[in-house]
Amino acid sequence: MAGNHIQTLLKPRWWGTLNQARGEKKNAGIVKLMIIGGLGAAFWVGALLICLRMLRYFSGVEQLGDILAWKFLSMVIVTIFSLLIFSSILNSLSKLYLAKDLKLVHAMPVEGYTIFLARWLEITLDSSWMVILFTLPVFVSYGVVYHPGVFFYITVVASLVLLSFVASALGSFLVMGVVILVPASRIRTIFVFLGLSVFILLYVALRILRPERLVNPEAFSATLFYFKSMTAPSSAFLPSTWCYDAVMAALQGAPLEALFHLGLSLSFVLLMIFVLVFTADFIYFKGVSRAQTSAARLFVKRRLELPLFRRFSGPVKALVTKEIKTFFRDQTQWSQLFLIGALMAIYIYNFKVLPLDRSPIKTIYLQNILSFLNMGLAFFVLTAITGRFAFPAVSMEGEAIWLIRSSPVSPRSFLWIKFFMYLVPLMVLTLLLIIATNVLLKVVPFMMVLSCVNTLFMVPGVVALGIGLGAAFPSFKSENPAQTVTSYGGLLFMVYSAIFIGGVIVLQAGPVYTILSTQFRGGALSGFSISWIVLSFTTSLLICIMMVILPLRFGEKRLLKILYY
Amino acid sequence: MIELKNLTKKYGKFMAVEGLSLVVPKGEIFGFIGPNGAGKTTTISMMAGILVPTSGNVSICGIDMLASPREAKKKIGYIPDRPYLYEKLTAMEFLKFMGDLYAMASDGFEQRAEASLTQFSLLDWADELIESFSHGMKQRLIMAAALMHDPQVVVVDEPMVGLDPIAIKMVKQLLRDLAAQGVTIFMSTHTLQVAQDVCDRIGVIHRGGLIALGTIEELRALASSDGGDLEQVFMILTEGKGGGR
Repeated sequence: MAGNHIQTLLKPRWWGTLNQARGEKKNAGIVKLMIIGGLGAAFWVGALLICLRMLRYFSGVEQLGDILAWKFLSMVIVTIFSLLIFSSILNSLSKLYLAKDLKLVHAMPVEGYTIFLARWLEITLDSSWMVILFTLPVFVSYGVVYHPGVFFYITVVASLVLLSFVASALGSFLVMGVVILVPASRIRTIFVFLGLSVFILLYVALRILRPERLVNPEAFSATLFYFKSMTAPSSAFLPSTWCYDAVMAALQGAPLEALFHLGLSLSFVLLMIFVLVFTADFIYFKGVSRAQTSAARLFVKRRLELPLFRRFSGPVKALVTKEIKTFFRDQTQWSQLFLIGALMAIYIYNFKVLPLDRSPIKTIYLQNILSFLNMGLAFFVLTAITGRFAFPAVSMEGEAIWLIRSSPVSPRSFLWIKFFMYLVPLMVLTLLLIIATNVLLKVVPFMMVLSCVNTLFMVPGVVALGIGLGAAFPSFKSENPAQTVTSYGGLLFMVYSAIFIGGVIVLQAGPVYTILSTQFRGGALSGFSISWIVLSFTTSLLICIMMVILPLRFGEKRLLKILYY
Repeated sequence: MIELKNLTKKYGKFMAVEGLSLVVPKGEIFGFIGPNGAGKTTTISMMAGILVPTSGNVSICGIDMLASPREAKKKIGYIPDRPYLYEKLTAMEFLKFMGDLYAMASDGFEQRAEASLTQFSLLDWADELIESFSHGMKQRLIMAAALMHDPQVVVVDEPMVGLDPIAIKMVKQLLRDLAAQGVTIFMSTHTLQVAQDVCDRIGVIHRGGLIALGTIEELRALASSDGGDLEQVFMILTEGKGGGR
């Protein structure tokens, strides 16, 4: 009976996926699939090649080679387990307590625990398929290097699947308990915030350890000694240890031992299912009821106009004020801001600790070449931030988009207002990155000016691409529009942005090198060099201008079609 | 005044509205009724300028919606059937947002907004986030916002959905008052009693086409239903032509 109910409850999801696949226009669907598949395959193959190279390098290191390889495998599995838990916590909150269809589902004549189990299966699938798919190259590389046979691959898949069930069971169990204490609307913020804080702390700690010192031979001998002392096994009570032990046993040709460790994982999963069903029967519905209530506002002072925008026209004032207020009232955005702050600090810190003096290349050359390359790198950081904030800007309107459709504001004005709204903070942020790193690199004035001018012209291009493609591929019904950057449109944005940045950098590389080397040698530029420089910079400028106009036009055209036809 | 000329909307092969022509004069309350899927919301969406017709045109106070959408939309107060709003704004901020969007003057705005919120019994909630509002409160807030810029035409899709009896009574009186001031009101509804109570004329749409148009008496005569209420008239007019789609 319960099995039938679970099957029925899962059907809308399955049918929805099927209908979506059928609904795609044939050609567009194939192109989309090919692009996503191609990028996925490229990442997969790239990861496999890197892992193979690393394992082959390890196997060349006497005595320590295997220890390093095992340690790496153990680190990968612990990381996978952490990712799975984090992902399942967020998914559990969304699917179990915040989903739009919960009221409908809970009104049905089925037991609370059946609804819970159906949702839990979805949570397990959603939070694990990507992690498993993209970490498989690591395991395949071990298979290629150590030739363990087919049983190893079966064990790997079985272990990862069981690890996913364990992680989602623990995640859902934790969420069910916490929701009883705090409303779900607040918990997502807390978990996102805590998770990102842990990530930032780990990252900062790792950065401050300065792993680049490993290339220093004196420090490396000490590190080797450290690794050798690290062969102690991990805790036997950790599910990641059972997974690691099973994979290791299969890798070393001990199938019975592998089966024993798989059995440990399986028995824990079965135990957790029992615990989950038991707990869900008692507290799941209570938590769902609590999640319906919204938290009270902390500050209620009325401020209808933001002083800075008082002089702007009505529609600009309306859209900018609305955007700023809704942005800062959405606590999930804050955690992202903290993350960006931390990443920027680390980015700048990286330049502070660069061992330029130990390089065989003349420092002044290196500083300026690095500054040029840094431009590209900073623009890639900009792409990531634009993808997270500017790309979903149109989708963030959600179902309230009818307000814009019925208002006397044209889609063109709407998009341009959005563009300028995101351009200003992103421009300030990128200029900060570029100027701070250039100051740390002590670059020549020419490089400082070039970097700033490039930033002034390229940032609008990247932001326009984000807003334009975000408008061309909107998702007004998404429960989490910030995630639209992982969609097909988001992928296109990333690819086009990378091509734009790469194109301009490549176009300017030759002329910049010529100018710098002439400056350092103290000579004069030839007529040919001057023409080449002028041509390159003019083409760059034209590309930058086109990158503002074309994406916004494309976005406007598509948005018009989506909203009004 | 609203003028629809040969208005047609096709979604792929499906004909949602076909050759609809209609004139609603200034100060009239026009009711638009019909079974589910008859084309009411599609017609209203085209009138509000949120959907482009396949052919034909919409004119609002003499302004062509397709040629000058910005100017035409300034004349309209649109109230949709589903109250989707910016949940992270307060009621007062939402009114300010709408006021700015319609380029209303800032002077005296707060007093006007408070008066409007009082009318819709929302003043106590003026500085609360919309996310904490009930469906009916959101619907009332949308109504308040739609009327803030003194529109000459009000287009309402299902005005009474989610409202309590007191609010329904208030809205009915408000519509009458607006019409008396010369505002043209076009409303679609399934609540036939409301249409019967407040509408000067009623149009019945069925399978994308207008099948009947007139005052209640004219519709009764058309349906040969002496003394019957609008519900009976509606049944007679639509049942003979098959149910909704």
